[in-house]
Amino acid sequence: MSEKFHIELKDLKQDTAEMVQFSRDMLSESVHALILQDPVMAKQVSSKKKHIKDITLTLEDRTYSLIALYQPMAKDMRVITCILKMITAAERIGRYGKDIANMVKHIQDQPEFTQPVPLQHMAEQVLKMIDDVIIAFETEHLEVIKDFSSRDDAIDSLWHSLFREMLTFMMENPKTITRGTYSIMVARYLERSGDHACKMAENVHYMVTGERIEIK
Amino acid sequence: MTPEPIISTRDLNLWYSDTHALQSISMKISKNHVTALIGPSGCGKSTLLRCFNRLNDLIDCVKISGEILLDNENIQSAGTDVVLLRKKVGMVFQKPNPFPKSVYENVAYGPRVHGVKDKAELDKIVEQSLRHAAIWDEVKDRLNDSALGLSGGQQQRLCIARTLAVEPEVILMDEPCSALDPIATAKIEKLIDILKRDYTVIIVTHNMQQAARVSDYTGFMYLGKLIEFGQTKQIFENPQEDLTENYITGRFG
Repeated sequence: MSEKFHIELKDLKQDTAEMVQFSRDMLSESVHALILQDPVMAKQVSSKKKHIKDITLTLEDRTYSLIALYQPMAKDMRVITCILKMITAAERIGRYGKDIANMVKHIQDQPEFTQPVPLQHMAEQVLKMIDDVIIAFETEHLEVIKDFSSRDDAIDSLWHSLFREMLTFMMENPKTITRGTYSIMVARYLERSGDHACKMAENVHYMVTGERIEIK
Repeated sequence: MTPEPIISTRDLNLWYSDTHALQSISMKISKNHVTALIGPSGCGKSTLLRCFNRLNDLIDCVKISGEILLDNENIQSAGTDVVLLRKKVGMVFQKPNPFPKSVYENVAYGPRVHGVKDKAELDKIVEQSLRHAAIWDEVKDRLNDSALGLSGGQQQRLCIARTLAVEPEVILMDEPCSALDPIATAKIEKLIDILKRDYTVIIVTHNMQQAARVSDYTGFMYLGKLIEFGQTKQIFENPQEDLTENYITGRFG
């Protein structure tokens, strides 16, 4: 395999890490915009939708080219497959960020409503998991992702708790139904983003060790 | 369950004069499977392959120690009938090497040497062998034409048919596709997949994608040593040795 391939693969890996970071920031900013009720920030996040799509296509094209030209094997093959999976998961996370940002304008005119506490906590947990996946992907140190199963469980618990809390709110005060429903959707997107972080962690684990694991 | 081995080596060493070309090779070749030997040039893979039918005997300065068991008999022992051994362990070389004879005579040559005289039986062996080598349809109307008039890919399949005609148990292939175009290569690879139903195939190849495609087991050799041996999927997906990893990802070699 040529040196050119390994340089290109290294660059591709670096750019993939940056893409995951970009998606993570979209999610983070969207939650901020929601909590602060900031339509300007929300609009900025929404406007990144095209960019994330473009990077996804570009990275995928580069990956396909490397596969077609070099038919990588062993660790190189695992890096390539991990990159492809990471791109898909990261794009999804970025799109969740865009979806959350789009909600800000829909709830602006709704009656005042304090965002449920678990939402912000969920966001912090999910974002930290994505941060750790990026670290594991870049450094190939798996320490930071070894407790993902329990962290994902914690996020699932927050999601269920928030869901029940929102139902109670909405039953007590039907005026909160619109905001409450959106909050449930946001929580659901965050919970799904946590799942994507777990999937990415599984792929990073495979990339580094060659062994498949399932984070439940 | 580990498949039944047909060939086993135990602490096999080979020297070309002072050069220690094979160093303590111990491996088991599974019956009715394809085993690929890979490694950089000069690592000893072709030398190892040639040990399996004692072709190295033809080189004066070669000294061998250790055991090579074929069907639990040590082929290195003085009493081994080398002609019979080479009937059991056939070989296909890098460059197609048909005899300058007709297609028919190329295939009939081996059985004749081993005593088949009856024309009807020879006809049957020739047709069966050519069919097995997936070349019958292409040559059935030109059996009496010179084999040298065939294309490179056809010549190589004819050489495989010639090997099959003496009913071997094992077929050794030393880079059988390196002189062939991609279409002829694909035909040989497909053929290897079919051949393993009835034969054991050991293939030396520099083409790692080919090794990954055709083989069930792969051995990686380096500087005369068998560095890693295992299931092909494991070797190419998750090799355990750094040297194997570095070789198959092209970091050296």
